[in-house]
Amino acid sequence: MSKGEWDMDILHPQTARSAGAEALLGLQPSSSISITYHSLFGPHDDLMLLELDDKLLPEILQQRVTLRGQPDEDAVLCTASKTYAVKFVGTSNSVFLIPPSDEVSGSCNNKDDDNMMAASILKVAPGCMELVEVAPKLDELKLLLSQNPYSFIEASEMDTSEEGEKTGMGLYRWQDLVERIQASDEELKLGLQSLSAVEINGCWRILDDNYTHAILNMLLQDVTLNDWSVNALDEDEVLSVLEADGFPRNIAKHCLQVYCSKVDEGVGVSYKWKLDERLVCVCLAREILKGGKMKHEIFMEKWTRKLPDGMCASFDMLEGEVLTEKLGVETWLYSFSVSSLPSTPAERFSILFQQRPKWEWKDLRPYVRDLKVPGLTSEALLLKYTRRTQPTVEAEPVFSAR
Amino acid sequence: MQIKVKCSCGEGKCPEWAIVELQGAVEAQPSFQNCVENLQIGILCRPSSEESYTFTVGYHELMGAKQSLKKPILVLKKVKVDDEGEVELDVIGVIRHKILFKTRPKALISRAQPVLKPKINAPASLLN
Repeated sequence: MSKGEWDMDILHPQTARSAGAEALLGLQPSSSISITYHSLFGPHDDLMLLELDDKLLPEILQQRVTLRGQPDEDAVLCTASKTYAVKFVGTSNSVFLIPPSDEVSGSCNNKDDDNMMAASILKVAPGCMELVEVAPKLDELKLLLSQNPYSFIEASEMDTSEEGEKTGMGLYRWQDLVERIQASDEELKLGLQSLSAVEINGCWRILDDNYTHAILNMLLQDVTLNDWSVNALDEDEVLSVLEADGFPRNIAKHCLQVYCSKVDEGVGVSYKWKLDERLVCVCLAREILKGGKMKHEIFMEKWTRKLPDGMCASFDMLEGEVLTEKLGVETWLYSFSVSSLPSTPAERFSILFQQRPKWEWKDLRPYVRDLKVPGLTSEALLLKYTRRTQPTVEAEPVFSAR
Repeated sequence: MQIKVKCSCGEGKCPEWAIVELQGAVEAQPSFQNCVENLQIGILCRPSSEESYTFTVGYHELMGAKQSLKKPILVLKKVKVDDEGEVELDVIGVIRHKILFKTRPKALISRAQPVLKPKINAPASLLN
C-alpha cells in the first residue's frame, strides 16, 4: 500500500525518538509523550502476561518454576514447593503493552531533540493469567503407581536377570512423574513418601499388598527368632538376615524406612532402627481384614498374636483404617482405609456418605482431617459438603450428605 | 508435559514494561487498518507534578492516573527449544505500573483547534 509523502510525514512519527516504557513511566511534569503503534505491532500470541505475588519472583529468577499438565488438563504452575492453578482472566479494556526502548526493534536513535518522544505499543493484551494456590493432584500418582506394583513374581525374576533397567508398562521414573503429575517437586516427594513408594532400578514403585505383608511378617519373625529389641534393630544385621530370607537388600532397606524410625546413636558403624508400633499394627490389621468382615474378638486375638514382644496393639491405632458395625449383640470390623480414598473433597465426601449415610464426628474425623484445600478451613469444608444435625445440645453431632 | 519458566535477564534485571489501559477499544480508520505500524494513536501528557495524565486521541481526551500494581505482572515469551516442539517460557519483562484511563472520553471543543491541529489528522479514533 503506498501513501503520499505528506501522509507519511504527519502520520508516521518516524522522526519521533522511540523511548519506550521507561520514558512513559518517567514522564516529567508538564511534558508529553506520543503514543504510537510499534513497528512490530501485532497479535504476538507468543507473549503472555502472568500476574504473581512478589514473593514468587525469586523462585522465577532462580529458574525453579514450571508449568505442568497433560494436553487435556488445565495447566498448573509449580514452584519448588507449591502448586498453583493458572486462570486466564480476560478484560474488555484495551491493555496496551509497551516494551522498553531497546526491546525487539531497538530505538531509531534519532538525535533530533525537537521531536517528541514516543512510546510504542507492541500488543493489545486480551487479559492476564492469574495464580490460585491449589492442592497437588496426587490421586493421579496413586493411580499410576498402582498399575504395576512390585510383587513376588518380579522380585524372583530380578534375581535371575542381570539387566534390571527396563521401561515396561506402568513403570515411571522421577522424570516421568514430574511430566505426568500436577504437583510441585516437594509435594511429589511427600506424595511418594506417603504411598511408601520406593525407587527400584530407577523407577518409582509401590509394593503390592502380599509382598508388603510378607516382608513385614518376615521381619517380625526374625525379631522374635533372633531376640532382637524392637527399639534397636541393627541395620546391617537386619538387612543380611532379610536378604538370606530371599528379599532384595534395597527392598529390605525400604521396609526399615517405612516401618521404623532411625534411632540417632552416635558415630554409627551400623544404624539402629526402632520399629514404629502404630505403623506395624496398622499393616498387620490390614492383612487380617483383607478377607472381609470379622468379629471384633476374633480380630483382636489374631492381631495381638502377630505382634512381637515389646509391642502392643491398641484399637485407637485403627482410626481411619477400620470401621465397626453392630449386628445384634456382636461388633464386626471391616477395613476402610482413608489412604484408599480420593483426596478431592467432593469425591471424598461422596464415597464417605455412600459407605454410611450418617457419621458421628468421632468416626468421621479420621476420614476428613487430611483434606486440605488452600484457603478453606476444615470447618468450611464440613459446612460445604455435609449437613450437621444435633438432636439435643448434649448429643453428639451427626453428619449427613447435603 | 512440563514447560520451564526461565528468566534470562538475570539477577532481577528484568526490564520494566508499561501498560496504558483504557476502556473500550481504539480503532484505526479503515484505510489504515492494515498498516498501523508506527502510527500515532495520541498524545499522553502529564500536566502537573501529580501522577495524573491526559490522553488525547483524535477529538477526545481521557483523564487517567498512574497506578502501582498490587502484584507485578510478568511478560512471558514462548520460545521453541528444539524442533520437536518443546517450548519454554522466557520472562522478558516485568510490569509494576500502569497508566489507567477509566473516564469516558471528553469531546474537545473546536476553540482549542490551533493546539490540536496535528492530532486532528491522526487517523485513530476512540470507540467506547
